[in-house]
Amino acid sequence: MQPHLKRAFTLLALVIIAFILVRSLVVPGSFGQYGWYRGDSVNELRNLTVNYAESTSCGGENCHKIIYDVWVKDRHKTVNCETCHGPAEKHVLNPRETLTPANDTREYCGKCHFKQIARPELFPQIDPDTHGQDLRCVYCHNPHKPWFV
Amino acid sequence: MMLENLIWGYVYPNESEIQWSILIVLYPYITGLVAGAFIASSLYHVFGKNEIKPVARFALLTALSFLLVAMMPLLVHLGRPERGIEIMFTPHVTSAMSGFGYIFSFYLTIVVLEIWLSFREDIVKKALSSHGWKELLYSSLALFSFDISEKTLHDDEKFAKKLAIIGIPSAAFLHGYVGFIFGGIKANPWWSTPLMPIIFLMSAIVSGIALLILLYIVAMKIRKHAIDHKCLQSLAHYLWIFLILDVTLELLEIISMKYASREDIDIINRLLSDKIGFTFWGVQLTLGILIPFILLLMVSLIKKRDTLKMIMISISCIFVVIGVFAMRWNVVIGGQEISKSLSGTLTYVPVFFSQEGVLPAIIIFILPFIILRVVTSILPPWKDMEEETQKLN
Repeated sequence: MQPHLKRAFTLLALVIIAFILVRSLVVPGSFGQYGWYRGDSVNELRNLTVNYAESTSCGGENCHKIIYDVWVKDRHKTVNCETCHGPAEKHVLNPRETLTPANDTREYCGKCHFKQIARPELFPQIDPDTHGQDLRCVYCHNPHKPWFV
Repeated sequence: MMLENLIWGYVYPNESEIQWSILIVLYPYITGLVAGAFIASSLYHVFGKNEIKPVARFALLTALSFLLVAMMPLLVHLGRPERGIEIMFTPHVTSAMSGFGYIFSFYLTIVVLEIWLSFREDIVKKALSSHGWKELLYSSLALFSFDISEKTLHDDEKFAKKLAIIGIPSAAFLHGYVGFIFGGIKANPWWSTPLMPIIFLMSAIVSGIALLILLYIVAMKIRKHAIDHKCLQSLAHYLWIFLILDVTLELLEIISMKYASREDIDIINRLLSDKIGFTFWGVQLTLGILIPFILLLMVSLIKKRDTLKMIMISISCIFVVIGVFAMRWNVVIGGQEISKSLSGTLTYVPVFFSQEGVLPAIIIFILPFIILRVVTSILPPWKDMEEETQKLN
């Protein structure tokens, strides 16, 4: 082989070796341990602190039984307590840790109920410009029993 | 504009925003120009068409300039460009997309080697005749090996030919692969066809040859040199042949869709008559194929009158380049304007100033021309074009 071609292919080989080296340094050691992802991420995710406690922990222990029973029978039963009231794990473990007040702004209700073409036709939706005179929704609607005005 | 005006019929909530924007239209367009320019150069390097010789090396430089920016639309679209390399570090064998980095790198290596071999004689001569930083630049480009004896150059040429033989399938692969990604999306009736890779490839060759012709004419006008009409008309002839292959495949797809009339035909009809009606029938087929087809046919029928022919070829090429862009648009945007429900449509509204907007697309498209300007000043291919034609005035 001609000397210039030898040099060219040596250069190419060096580039490929450099790529393999960088790859071996950059790809995490646990990649591919269980599948096409970083194996260590399973443990890291498992060790994350738990923030949410689930709705059953609000009504199950007789703490908020009355409001829980109203909510669980009504149309908002698919919207968890913590969706509006915020993550409650700390509060469940220690009732002295109070929750931040529930988000009852108009925009927050509107995330589901402002009119949008992509939503099913029968889903309750309002036009925020014409409905409710800019009042907070909870002024008229009870979020635990939404049709109770 | 209100969302309601952009949507017709039944669409899924996650479809209301069109994710693949003008940048994803630009990406197959640029890779197409790369593949096309490379295949044009291989008409000389592999198939020995000597009339193409004046532009053969220029075509390689054009291919390289566009190849260097081919990834950019994807990286800008990704938003986190530094993550782009991860697809090469951990590619998954079942993903067509993850193969791209390797195909791209392989092809880039071939193009660079091919350019290096075909310019080596010039590089070595320049290295030996210049001083200072220029000497260093050209010497390092020559890899400090200055053998340009007759035998070495002959061997180089033979090796370059072998490389180009590998280069053609890899150019076809690079671009056919882009078509394959679209063709493999089975949920989308507008994309899902095994014809897609070959349609992409043919339109790539068409757009690449057209761009090469335009760049050649512009370069000669700037350098005030006479145009080699034999070369120009020969390129136009190949453009015409590939144009026929391209339109045959594109129409074959539409005709078989219409004839088979599967459950998706209603939405396809709506797409073709309403959503992309103008860009498909008007720009892609009439402006981009029919008019150039007639003009190029006339070019091959008219005797003499080289200037008139040159004007007709230039107009055809401009139309072809626009038409192929419309083709990419119709595939990428058209496919997203029909809902997966097959009973609704959406509308893509391009934004100008945004990361996904028209402005970055324009900037990315201008870049290869700047790169080409720089590359041609380092490795001038003009000698080939100016050997046989005399300088004007």
